Amino acid sequence: MEARGADQVTVRGAYYREPSTRVIQPVVDIQKDLPHGVDLDAHYLVDAITSASAAAGTTKDSIFTEVRNEVALAVGKNWDRTRATLGYRYSAESDYWSHGLGGSLAGRFWGDTATVALSLGVSLDTMSSRDRPSPDCAVAPHTYCTLDSYFAGLSYTQVLSPVAVAQVDGEIAYLDGFQGNLYRQVPGLGYEKPPDQRLRNAVAGRFAYYFPSSSTGVQLHYRFYWDLFPGTAPTPTDPWLMRAHTIEARVYQKLSRSLEVRLLYRQHLQNRAQFWCDVTLNSSCYQPVAMSSPPTYSADPKLGPIHTEYPEVKLVWDADGLRAVPFLRWFSAATFEISYGYYMQNDSFRNAHVLQAGATMPY
Amino acid sequence: MAYPSWRAWLVAALALAAVAGCAHEPPVQPWQREHLAKRAMRFDADPMEDHFRQHWLGAREGADLGFGQPGGGCGCN
Repeated sequence: MEARGADQVTVRGAYYREPSTRVIQPVVDIQKDLPHGVDLDAHYLVDAITSASAAAGTTKDSIFTEVRNEVALAVGKNWDRTRATLGYRYSAESDYWSHGLGGSLAGRFWGDTATVALSLGVSLDTMSSRDRPSPDCAVAPHTYCTLDSYFAGLSYTQVLSPVAVAQVDGEIAYLDGFQGNLYRQVPGLGYEKPPDQRLRNAVAGRFAYYFPSSSTGVQLHYRFYWDLFPGTAPTPTDPWLMRAHTIEARVYQKLSRSLEVRLLYRQHLQNRAQFWCDVTLNSSCYQPVAMSSPPTYSADPKLGPIHTEYPEVKLVWDADGLRAVPFLRWFSAATFEISYGYYMQNDSFRNAHVLQAGATMPY
Repeated sequence: MAYPSWRAWLVAALALAAVAGCAHEPPVQPWQREHLAKRAMRFDADPMEDHFRQHWLGAREGADLGFGQPGGGCGCN
């Protein structure tokens, strides 16, 4: 159950850079407590994405900038040991629009040491193509394609001791609609055609432990993911059957009363979707599949066998030391943070730098 | 490599039951919660950071859950 503090505003900026793609994302988030246990959380963010052909997945050698705007509003209500939230999110690009509605219900038990949380959500997306007036996935008379996603998650968090917490959760999502990129093409076959239904599942476990003597905290995360075509697949074999293992370790260390460093390491391993083959290694690998009915093919690198690693270092500074400094004492209740990570990928996207900075201040 | 989906759910349920079985009585009293409020002990300490990470990893790895991942022309989907 997410803890709620005083009214606060958070300003963040994120910068992601790999050889073919650069993303700059400023965000502002405002939280407000209202009477009767009600609270509001609203955010606005902009994704400015500059991309060349490799990352965009198109076959054109061009550079373009896409801007995505996102607004979201969530309302929470707290009772004695129960919290409910309801949120709406809208995201818009020049060729992609998404409405998301989600809710959660969480309850605390066993002397507030256990929390069970249920989350449900639906996302209704619409997409069009600047290059294709009427893509194959559009249903006449419409000229756009759709993707509907339905999500459910259940988590259980248990305080095990004054210095140990564990969490297990399961998530499931059903996707129905176009799940590719309307601009991406497979050499010799044309625009990609991934399967239009997918059932995605994940189970995860997290454990946190704190060493008071050294002011050190440790977190370990593990996640297993698998997906499949729901029901009877239209192809002879299930086109998905992707499996992935993700591990993550975090170490939090207090460097002083107000300064903390967090070291993070994440590793992700996945096999390929069964319908996918690497057209960069064998340009004709899709021919037998493409002749079947219905044809399914994609040049999306993220559907292939992937191994990624991500080390990151983050500094968090609680600025209460500014309390004695004239003028700057206005910021003494703020928390500042900055992080740098290096994302290593074994596919055509190649490695990326990730820089984030933010400040949270009560008002 | 075709895992029946019920098998992983069963493992999750058993793990949950194992954790719950350890807590016949509340293992921590209110006055023992000093360290539990620290960032290091919270899995949801920074939701905005998680939001950005989910979006970028969802665009680069095929094993996210596909929810809350809007994006089109940028190759995010």
